[in-house]
Amino acid sequence: MRTILVPATTLLMLLFCWQVAGRVFHFNRVILPSPVEIASAFAKDYARLFRETGITMEESVLGFILGAGGAYLLAVSFVYSRIIQEAVYPYAVALKSTPLIAIAPLLVLWFGNGILSKIVMSALVAFFPVLVNSANGLTSVDPDALDLMKSLSASSWQVLTKIRIPNSLSYLLAGLKIASSMAVVGAVIGEFTGATEGIGHLINTSSYYLETPLMFAGVAMISLGGILFFGLMAYLEKKIVFWKQSQ
Amino acid sequence: MSADSAMVDVVNVSKSYSSSNGAVPALDGISFSAEKGEFVSIIGPSGCGKSTLIKIIGDLVQPSQGTVRVAGHTSRDARQQGMFSFVFQNPVLLPWRRVIDNVRLPLEILGRHSRDPAHLLEMVGLTGFETRYPKELSGGMQQRAALARALTFDPQVLLMDEPFGAVDELTRDSLNSQLLEIWQKIRVTVLLITHSVSEAVFLSDRVIVLSRRPGTIREILEVPFTRTREKSLKETPSFQEVVKFLRERLE
Repeated sequence: MRTILVPATTLLMLLFCWQVAGRVFHFNRVILPSPVEIASAFAKDYARLFRETGITMEESVLGFILGAGGAYLLAVSFVYSRIIQEAVYPYAVALKSTPLIAIAPLLVLWFGNGILSKIVMSALVAFFPVLVNSANGLTSVDPDALDLMKSLSASSWQVLTKIRIPNSLSYLLAGLKIASSMAVVGAVIGEFTGATEGIGHLINTSSYYLETPLMFAGVAMISLGGILFFGLMAYLEKKIVFWKQSQ
Repeated sequence: MSADSAMVDVVNVSKSYSSSNGAVPALDGISFSAEKGEFVSIIGPSGCGKSTLIKIIGDLVQPSQGTVRVAGHTSRDARQQGMFSFVFQNPVLLPWRRVIDNVRLPLEILGRHSRDPAHLLEMVGLTGFETRYPKELSGGMQQRAALARALTFDPQVLLMDEPFGAVDELTRDSLNSQLLEIWQKIRVTVLLITHSVSEAVFLSDRVIVLSRRPGTIREILEVPFTRTREKSLKETPSFQEVVKFLRERLE
């Protein structure tokens, strides 16, 4: 309870100071609207805000599933084929920290300005952290556990399902937490680059019309979406990788 | 070559590892055998290759030279038939499995139903902990669970690689007594690697002393005490004398 109350108080105090400072110093509402103005923009346009946020979250989640799923399967294939690993892995490590969003215009060019280009963008940025983490988790297995399995003449399928995959789960979930945040960023960048809907499009157009309170409301909405997505992954981590938690 | 009753027959086994400076010998010309149901300990200074030796016997590592026969089979055939069971220095329990499911693991892999996992947990004194997870158990209890797991599938040869090296003295003593008790019930052939001379003497029928690297056999000693052995044996002068003799052979 305390872990929620204390940061929530910080937020309320910040909003309060922001509101008071706006009154006292007469901020230009186009540059920095007050929290109350943002709230009223939200009240006026909430249906649209929810709809556009929903679209962006849909793109993010689909891209995330595609990217993370593909990455995990590729990581499993590394266990079976050294050649695939040697051919692909160095690039995966390099691309993990490359700003892939730089290719967003290219994706819009290839996949159009509908949701497909955003899904691909999300999938790409979700892919690499999951691949690198999963590959680590599938291979960094206690050598004694492998000896134990070998002494029992376990098949490679048994080693995979009874040792490697369970061992990889904590690494996988850590990767999914990173990927969930990245996927939302990817979708929004895709929308900035070229889109007809989605929260990125809303933020872009309201910037064009100098509707700054709506911009802020849009930013708040997609932040909330990202936090919920991340929170879901953190929750799953706690449930699935229960043996890593302290007693 | 050796008596028909030999369970494990190690013949002239050598092992060297290749390094940038050429081959580094680890074991040199090891030969010995263990009877069915015998308890044999192998002691030696650290780095003498005793862990390598037990892994060669269990077909986890290939020897550079020599052969290992197990009840007339090659060690590979013996491993594939599930004749070996390993206990390592670490318990190697899978943290995502409950204790009983850890004990059951070999049965799942081998597709056997040799012994009841719950009964084995009772034998090692872990009744009531079946549905706990490994991290809820102390180090000594984890190692007892590992011992139960090693016995579920009714192996012919129990290969123990410093199984009690990571626990404190008191726990070690009680684990030793417990191991003896269980061994007396099921009479599996045991090869035990240890660096504790008194543990080796207390538990074994025979003690094999290896030399410094590359490991060669320095001494094979028949332990002159009868079964059943009580803890108090360790305090007797004759026990101390045997320990002292072996310590000198270790130098």
